[in-house]
Amino acid sequence: MATQARFGFEQLRRVPLVLFVLLYTLVTGGPFLWVAAMSLRTTAEIFKAPYGLPAPAHWEKFVDAWTKSNYGTYFWNSTFVVVIAVALVTVIGAMAAHCLARYNFRGGRLVRFLILSGLVLPPQLLILALFQILLDINLYNTLTGLVLVYVATHIAMTVYILEGFFAQIPQDLFDAARMDGYSDFEIFWRVTMPIGAPAVFTAVTLNFIILWNEFLFAVVLLTDDEKRTLPLGIMHFTGSHQLDVGMAATGLMIAILPIIVIYAFFSETMIKGMTAGAVR
Amino acid sequence: MAVITVDKLCKRYTGGAAPAVSDVSFTVADREFMVLLGPSGCGKSTVLRMIAGLEPITSGTVSIDGRIMNQVPAKLRDIAMVFQSYALYPHMTVYENLAFGLRRRSVAQAEVARRVHAAAGKLGLAEFLKRKPHALSGGQRQRVALGRAIVRDPKVFLFDEPLSNLDAALRVTTRNELIKQQREIGTTSIYVTHDQVEAMTMGHCICIMNQGQVVQMGRPLEVYRNPADTFVAKFLGNPPMNLLQGRLEAQDGRAVVRFAGSAVALPKRTASSLDRNVGGDVIIGIRPEDLYETPPAGGAAEITRLPARVIAVEPLGAETLLLVALDASKDELIARIGRETTLKTGDRLDIALDTAAVHLFDPGTTKAIV
Repeated sequence: MATQARFGFEQLRRVPLVLFVLLYTLVTGGPFLWVAAMSLRTTAEIFKAPYGLPAPAHWEKFVDAWTKSNYGTYFWNSTFVVVIAVALVTVIGAMAAHCLARYNFRGGRLVRFLILSGLVLPPQLLILALFQILLDINLYNTLTGLVLVYVATHIAMTVYILEGFFAQIPQDLFDAARMDGYSDFEIFWRVTMPIGAPAVFTAVTLNFIILWNEFLFAVVLLTDDEKRTLPLGIMHFTGSHQLDVGMAATGLMIAILPIIVIYAFFSETMIKGMTAGAVR
Repeated sequence: MAVITVDKLCKRYTGGAAPAVSDVSFTVADREFMVLLGPSGCGKSTVLRMIAGLEPITSGTVSIDGRIMNQVPAKLRDIAMVFQSYALYPHMTVYENLAFGLRRRSVAQAEVARRVHAAAGKLGLAEFLKRKPHALSGGQRQRVALGRAIVRDPKVFLFDEPLSNLDAALRVTTRNELIKQQREIGTTSIYVTHDQVEAMTMGHCICIMNQGQVVQMGRPLEVYRNPADTFVAKFLGNPPMNLLQGRLEAQDGRAVVRFAGSAVALPKRTASSLDRNVGGDVIIGIRPEDLYETPPAGGAAEITRLPARVIAVEPLGAETLLLVALDASKDELIARIGRETTLKTGDRLDIALDTAAVHLFDPGTTKAIV
């Protein structure tokens, strides 16, 4: 009897938690499902019944978005910029994190402070300066310029994530590799990077998601339509002169697809990396 | 063939008040196994890391076969090191761990495989070659760490407390295994430990360090029998040597120590050899095994009896440790006596002391009086 009563009490205690999780799922998942439904409906259908189900489903809208609305170009621009920026920021950030975690050198603390202070700077603060600098070096309105800006603005977070993890790798492993005859650079590639893989995946995933959705720098630093990235392309459908909600929803689904794929593959490693870094 | 010579080695860390290592000098002969023994923080690992090239040398020299190594990077010293934590690369299999050092040295693929399999066979690791370190037991990991050193066939082995992460039983078997391997291969080795049993059983030679300095060097039993000072006397031996305050006097040309109300004549010593200390205070050292409940029959030993009371009895099975308080001085002594004893706490006895085995130390310098 007693155990049964306690069991009931335990369950009762869980009710608020379960309610909260349900509510949270509704708040985050609901809009997503709504947009997913809208992406398969025409704008006219949506205006008639905003919350209706996609019946019939207009799958051809995805083809239209890709072929008629320049989405293909936006997609490849985004892919180009984000893949290169993430690759660069990961390699450079990992090297910086390895140095900060592994070597004691004069001014090390100052370097760490300067790099990590990038975390607290709001991007709006940098926009004017970056605009001017890119103009000066002839990289304004180029994808290369945007790549450089993305790398520069995401070094701080990357170093922050990786350094905590790298610092936990026992010094003995590095000493052993030195005794085995490896140079510092080889040790970085053959010991730090493979062992730090969970943290590296975390950094890659986070940077990819954030940069894939990045809007502010892209809208200021790119002007030509054929250079636009996906977030700018979607805005195109919701401009001041037109409002093609159905097409914008289709565009959003295209834009979000790579993120879902990446997250599905790396979420577990990412959580491992984040929690490992957290208990430093 | 490798002779390691360490000459006046010093290490001072920036911001450190006292040097971590000062004036350490020793030579390890070819094929010799030397144990660096000392308490935690005495600088023994720092010495090892300076020899390995992992720690910059403040002053002094490290040479191998006469060549000064101070400026030679670790990877060119041809030294293999086994770490306390084993330092196995967690992302590599046992095979890859063993082969990692060879690959860097551009050893041909077939030769790498041959050497890895040979070492794995020798250490009983053949069936684990495809496993990652996390799927191995502590003892197996330790053998992989040892194997990684062996496959490289280096000039010198360095061991940094490699057994201290193992449980007691495994430590004994691994210790014997390690001794066997070293004797077979015959590579010059330096072994750092704070465990005196390892030091006594493994080394051809022990070098005892304390507070960054070498206190005594010698063959294990020689050091045990003739400790250079009270630190070595207490550090080597379990339970440690009993140390008591006493006074040295001369009586009819013989040296006599007075302590705990007794006058003990020292049979091996003449008053003249102790001239400098006669009439002064001394520290008397008595090993627990030189105290008896009943002195050995037919022994030629000169025995003195000291009245005492039993404070504690610790039967260890093979032997019994007895903690007694001397009546006269209340000094406490530990005696290692036979397992057949029937003594209980509170019992009185006249504990027998083999006077030939008494050690004397100078209370000022703590050095042995010889």
